[in-house]
Amino acid sequence: MKHLRSVNRKAQRIENDVVALQGPPQQPAAAPHIPLGCSLVFSPGWEADRNGGTAGLCQPVERDLFDCHTGCFWPAQVPDQLNHAPDWTAKCAAAQKDWRKIDLVFP
Amino acid sequence: MKLFTIVAISIAVLVQSLAAQAPPPKEPKEPTEKEKEELDSGIPIANELVRKTCSPCHKVDDKLRLSRISWRRTTPEGWEQTIKRMISLDGLKLEPAEAREILKYLSNTLGLAPEEARPAAFEVEKRMIDYKYAANKDAEEVCTKCHSMGRVISQRRSKTEWELLIAMHRGYYPLSDFQAFRRGGPPQTQPGPDGSPPDNRHPMDKVIPHLTDALALKTPEWSAWSANMRAPKLAGQWAFAGYQAGKGYFYGATTIKPGDKEDEFLTETRYTRVKTGDVIERKGKAIVYTGFQWRGRSESGASGKDSLREVMFLDRGQREISGRWFTGAYDETGIDVTLKRIGNDSIVLGIDHASLPAGSAREVQIHGVNFPANLSAAAIDFGPGVSVKRLVSATPALVRVEVEIAKDATIGPRDIGVAGAFREAGAVVYDKIDEIKVRPQAGMARVGGINFPKEFQQFEAIAFNNGADRKPDTKDDISLGPVDVTWSIEEYTATFDDDDKTYVGTLDDNGLFTPNVDGPNPKRKNRADNYGDVWVVATLKLPDGKVLRARAHLLVTVPLYMKFDQPEVAQ
Repeated sequence: MKHLRSVNRKAQRIENDVVALQGPPQQPAAAPHIPLGCSLVFSPGWEADRNGGTAGLCQPVERDLFDCHTGCFWPAQVPDQLNHAPDWTAKCAAAQKDWRKIDLVFP
Repeated sequence: MKLFTIVAISIAVLVQSLAAQAPPPKEPKEPTEKEKEELDSGIPIANELVRKTCSPCHKVDDKLRLSRISWRRTTPEGWEQTIKRMISLDGLKLEPAEAREILKYLSNTLGLAPEEARPAAFEVEKRMIDYKYAANKDAEEVCTKCHSMGRVISQRRSKTEWELLIAMHRGYYPLSDFQAFRRGGPPQTQPGPDGSPPDNRHPMDKVIPHLTDALALKTPEWSAWSANMRAPKLAGQWAFAGYQAGKGYFYGATTIKPGDKEDEFLTETRYTRVKTGDVIERKGKAIVYTGFQWRGRSESGASGKDSLREVMFLDRGQREISGRWFTGAYDETGIDVTLKRIGNDSIVLGIDHASLPAGSAREVQIHGVNFPANLSAAAIDFGPGVSVKRLVSATPALVRVEVEIAKDATIGPRDIGVAGAFREAGAVVYDKIDEIKVRPQAGMARVGGINFPKEFQQFEAIAFNNGADRKPDTKDDISLGPVDVTWSIEEYTATFDDDDKTYVGTLDDNGLFTPNVDGPNPKRKNRADNYGDVWVVATLKLPDGKVLRARAHLLVTVPLYMKFDQPEVAQ
């Protein structure tokens, strides 16, 4: 790019990209804070998303809860249907409506 | 007859052909040296109740070792969780008294040495800390995808046992294969940085050699501790010192009396909250496992409402017991407690105003035990630059003095002495507050209150002086302890039009965050629950008009729908 000069905005953007790609790789962002015991590493995590916040979590959690239960996708956070709580959804057909009937399980 | 002959011949031919097809009996494979060594490392189970209860499933060998059980060591909590799983998933039936005996036997015979249990103390003390397992990246990644690393480092197992533990996880939670145990993506083709061939083992296979080595069943620490282990002799008077974020310091005394068994104790504790002068009395009982692991429960008042679980560690000399007393649906509220055995000497526990501004005079309370009756001001020593002007009053547990801090006193911590007994760095002399910091820097709370309990988060602001180099955030910065500040919540902008601040909850004047209720909120976009992340901001206005600010990140998140917990270890 020594002998060429960008004259409009699009060319400027291209130039920026080319220069960035030719340079050393950019440093990855500092790792987010992971609360103790938090299953951040799944995408998204249980308590926090991959950026350490909540913006990437399922909203509301009740929408996705029974998927976690039947597939034991969050085995340390949600009771699994396979072993610990086969009847967990018995009192509650749709978690978004009946979430007040969901039990806390102590395995 | 003819028919009989045909049938007989047919049967004979069939039997012969079946015999010819049957594989030859297997020669028993000779175990290798390593396998022999592993087998020999198993710990015999002398307790008949344990053998009787567990042997329907766990095979007993000629040396009284039970399959699986004899090749594992862990904390009382680790054993309790296993016993609970045997009951809930494997059909074990136990009376509470039997469960207690089995738990105690396993924790004592297949327990951890103090050096092994200490690094994992945060797990049983239920501390919300940032823990980094530096020893092996693969192990950290594989295990913390679902649970705390504390569960792992409080285990000691043989190689086969680690393999079977992973197999157990894969059996009970089949998806863990995809989530953690097996490698995803295309195989590596590039050699490693040192030129070694590409390592395409699954993460679980990489982890087993590390765990077998780093968290081995047979260790010098356990050999030494188990040879010397005994029920501790704790009966007597103990000085009590505690600190709770948001409440400050507590000082008092605990009486420990013998309980029903030699490793069980009854306690009576009376302590004063220094900031308010409130006196709290608690009665409790405790079991000491493996000679040093205190697991207790104490209650205050007649109703027994204010119950605290106690998890502490006894030092080798049996002179100090320290740990955490906690409560809360997520064990989030707790006091850091240290008990020191009271002998004939005085003990200085601490003072009410630990930070002393240079060029000022004030009255200070010194809390302790066994202060002599004929105390004089000359016997009280605050170190250079701080002179004791007058002894205001003195009892064996509390001395009030007037001190004057010289204008040119060197800033830094001071040991406090009363009649020859010293409290290291009990006070600190400073000239000004340079900055404040919010603790914890990353907090977490969980919505609740309707169906699930709330998890609270207590914040506190700690004042700092820049120290002798006058530069912030250097090693010589001096902590001046907690200060009263004004608290507020600010938005942590993570998305466009972020509205978390409005919904997550409230922060009181004392820095205690109370999350909002659980469940979908119809007022929020997408009926989202009341979670979100925000800044918690502390503001301190100094006498000279200068304003100091500090902030911390707060994650307000989903409840836990399943709670792995073992409160039974204290009962």
